[in-house]
Amino acid sequence: MTKPAQPSSNLSAYLSHELRNALACIHQFGNILVDGLAGELTGEQREYVGIMLENASRIRSVLDSALDGVAGPPEKCATKIEPVTKLET
Amino acid sequence: MANKKILIVDDDPDVLQGMHVRLKANQYDICLAVDTFSGVAEARRSEPDLILLDLGLPAGGGFMVMERLRMIPSLAIIPIIVISARDGLGNQKRAFDAGAKAFLQKPVDDNQLLAVIRQTLGEPAKARIPTLHDQGTV
Repeated sequence: MTKPAQPSSNLSAYLSHELRNALACIHQFGNILVDGLAGELTGEQREYVGIMLENASRIRSVLDSALDGVAGPPEKCATKIEPVTKLET
Repeated sequence: MANKKILIVDDDPDVLQGMHVRLKANQYDICLAVDTFSGVAEARRSEPDLILLDLGLPAGGGFMVMERLRMIPSLAIIPIIVISARDGLGNQKRAFDAGAKAFLQKPVDDNQLLAVIRQTLGEPAKARIPTLHDQGTV
């Protein structure tokens, strides 16, 4: 983990980076469990993981709102995609 | 038809493992790297079809990885999707200027990630991500 930066914009960048990485992991592994990629869940287990994911989404919303107020709304996704053909070398 | 090969470069081992599991379940071959140096070295070694690149990497960072890859003709053509926890304001433009095909901010929705990967690789879109129930075993 990196050392916390100075207040204001550096602090928001630090918080954004650390919290979004942690949330990314919660979402990734929660969805891996729900989708059964690590084995079948019982109905009760699936419900509990679902609750965990819903609350992770709530944290994300709060984080987005809080950090948007500091740094302006970040783009969540942007693409300029064209299909790519890999050249044989 | 051989699976497409994806190199994931991220210094967070949990992120690497999570993406590995998800993408392998979607029939991609996966290579992993944890910092700037190993990202470039692994790209040279494995010549992937696509690179998923974090920006905050030890020993330089994601922009340096892109800069190094651009200097190697055989690797400069590999499409790069930046997946970062940094804010998208300046970083998104800088990533596109450096040659990235897409910029995604963590946490990334799995369906969104897979859609962007397929689009970048020129693969047909799928309705939804596969699960254990579709595949039997993984």
